[in-house]
Amino acid sequence: MVNEKIKISTRNLNVYYGIKQALFDINLDLFEKKVTALIGPSGCGKSTFIRCLNRMNDVIDICKVEGSIKVDGEEINGKEIDVNVVRERIGMVFQKPNPFPKSIYDNIAYGPRIHGLANNQDDLDRIVENSLKKAALWEEVKDRLNQPGTGLSGGQQQRLCIARAISINPEVILMDEPCSALDPIATAKIEELIDELKKSYTIVIVTHSMSQAARVSQNTGFFHLGKLLEFNLTEKIFKNPDNKMTQDYITGRFG
Amino acid sequence: MNIVLLSLIVIFSLSCYFFGKSKILKQTKISKKKFHSLPEYYGYYLAAWCGLPALIILFFWSLSELYIVKILILSDFRTDPAIDNNKLNLIFSQIKAIAENKFTGNIPQNLIPYAERFLSLNKILELSKLAIIFSAIIFSLSFAYSQILKNIKARESVEKVIRVVMFLCAAIAVFTTLGIVLSLLFESIKFFTAVSIFDFITGTNWAPGRAFVRDASVQTTDVENVFGAVPLFWGTFFIAMIAMCVAVPIGLFSGIYMAEYASSKIRKIAKPLIEVLAGIPTVVYGFFAALTVGPFFRTIGEGVGLNVSSESALAAGMVMGVMIIPYVSSLTDDVINAVPRSLREGSYAMGATKSETIKKVILPAALPGVVGAVLLAISRAVGETMIVVMAAGLGANLTINPLEASTTITTQIVTILIGDQSFNNPKTQAAFALGITLFFFTLVINVIALNIVKKFREKYE
Repeated sequence: MVNEKIKISTRNLNVYYGIKQALFDINLDLFEKKVTALIGPSGCGKSTFIRCLNRMNDVIDICKVEGSIKVDGEEINGKEIDVNVVRERIGMVFQKPNPFPKSIYDNIAYGPRIHGLANNQDDLDRIVENSLKKAALWEEVKDRLNQPGTGLSGGQQQRLCIARAISINPEVILMDEPCSALDPIATAKIEELIDELKKSYTIVIVTHSMSQAARVSQNTGFFHLGKLLEFNLTEKIFKNPDNKMTQDYITGRFG
Repeated sequence: MNIVLLSLIVIFSLSCYFFGKSKILKQTKISKKKFHSLPEYYGYYLAAWCGLPALIILFFWSLSELYIVKILILSDFRTDPAIDNNKLNLIFSQIKAIAENKFTGNIPQNLIPYAERFLSLNKILELSKLAIIFSAIIFSLSFAYSQILKNIKARESVEKVIRVVMFLCAAIAVFTTLGIVLSLLFESIKFFTAVSIFDFITGTNWAPGRAFVRDASVQTTDVENVFGAVPLFWGTFFIAMIAMCVAVPIGLFSGIYMAEYASSKIRKIAKPLIEVLAGIPTVVYGFFAALTVGPFFRTIGEGVGLNVSSESALAAGMVMGVMIIPYVSSLTDDVINAVPRSLREGSYAMGATKSETIKKVILPAALPGVVGAVLLAISRAVGETMIVVMAAGLGANLTINPLEASTTITTQIVTILIGDQSFNNPKTQAAFALGITLFFFTLVINVIALNIVKKFREKYE
């Protein structure tokens, strides 16, 4: 883990839902253009953690996030920070594919239109095409860009959502169990895609599948009951974890 | 008499319930025999057999009692060809009044024997009613008692009875609706035989008061032309549109505010407050419109040199709009809440602001529901009566000036039917024709609206 640039770092990150504390003093560094996998049993706070990184927890009334989150050394957790700019830099893909009830084209063009990334129709067409190509969906949908995005298959929908996320050229992509609603073939495609995307983006992926974490990630963090128990190179975590709990979880003895 | 009987039957049934239940309990204890159903089902079974036949007999007997007496008494008069049906009815009510000692004025001597006969017939009928009902109770009770001792499946029988009772209630609701629609239809058909349907739909002169003038045989040609309903259709449409101009934006935006922006604290206070608007009786809105809003517009109008009538389409429409706000707002709130959270999060995650998300994702997704809400509101506005009666005026003006008095279908129905009516002239029947037109409009709007809302719900649930 030496000689690598830190993209996001959190220090003493505590999250509360009402009076219930969901995350305890998380100190975690995410490296640029690497895939970081977050694993751990359900309810351990992995999703809560990545939702902090693009301030999605702001949407939840009772949620309170304390501590420091820095992107390229710049604080993003604070009332005065413009969350929309943060979310423009840090995209997100959700557990269940959630394409808008619009055409495939409009789904991708949504972000660029909002942020004014295209100067004219040709620009927009190019952005849509590039995003779909990067998400390995272009060949499948290029003839039906005007059809609704909700009409695609589950795997295609998820790739559409990934294309949507990269259409505004974010620096980081957060993925919250992106394959949990997909079949193995669609999952394999998304994993391939993640491998490809890490050349240009920093990726954080929450997953329940040990094999997926092992396949796609370079670094892995193990969460348990709101605490980060172990964070290390994926290889190290899966072959020779420092923590007994990590070992037990990975080998399926609990969780 | 009937009330006493009714309460007696109810008391009997109740005691049958307790009797049946305790009987079975005792039987189980004595003979250690296991019964098919729980003891209370045998109680219900006995109570149903005791009460239902008696109630059915009581109901039909009471309905036909007076009719039978009437046939028997009037048989003498029927032979006289000079007496028609109306006269027969009059004679019978005279006889009845004499018998009940309610007759005012000189009692016609020839009717006194009939009155005596009326009384004796009544007494006989009452007594036989008592006898029949009690024998029915005894008969059905002894049957039911023997049944429960035979360990019948009381639970299933009770289920059947409950099913029939529920069905009857549903049937009453359906048949009442049907009856209302049919009576509207028949009266309108009578009207349309007197006035051509084409004149009704296309005529622009509405002055049903003149229809009486024809009876005085002043001008026959007038009649055809006084039932032109176009000014009413226009007035209804016009006032509903004014109401929509108030209700749609305010209702829509307040619904969006409640669903998307308001914190749960504000929501908790503001939502019930808005819904209070829906609970205000329309007659209160009516005098608010007539006594406060109407004169207010007139004063303003005078101030700027406009001639505003104190009863105006504008005042009625605005107040009606205020009345409809809660419908639009709470329906909008509902359909927006039905848009899945994941779509919102998807949009926020793209760096979209709240209003961008609402404009570009939530409203398009909720649009069918919002359209449905607006259509339902229109159908309410079209059918609204009290506000327009009090604030819009009665003159059937065909005008596009909202500051003038205007009138609606509902207002005209009210004016036609207020006071004493004769039911056989076109003026009264015109009310039914207007009623069925209104019914048709609101039915079509409602069906469309409900379908749109349903389609929307299917999509997301």
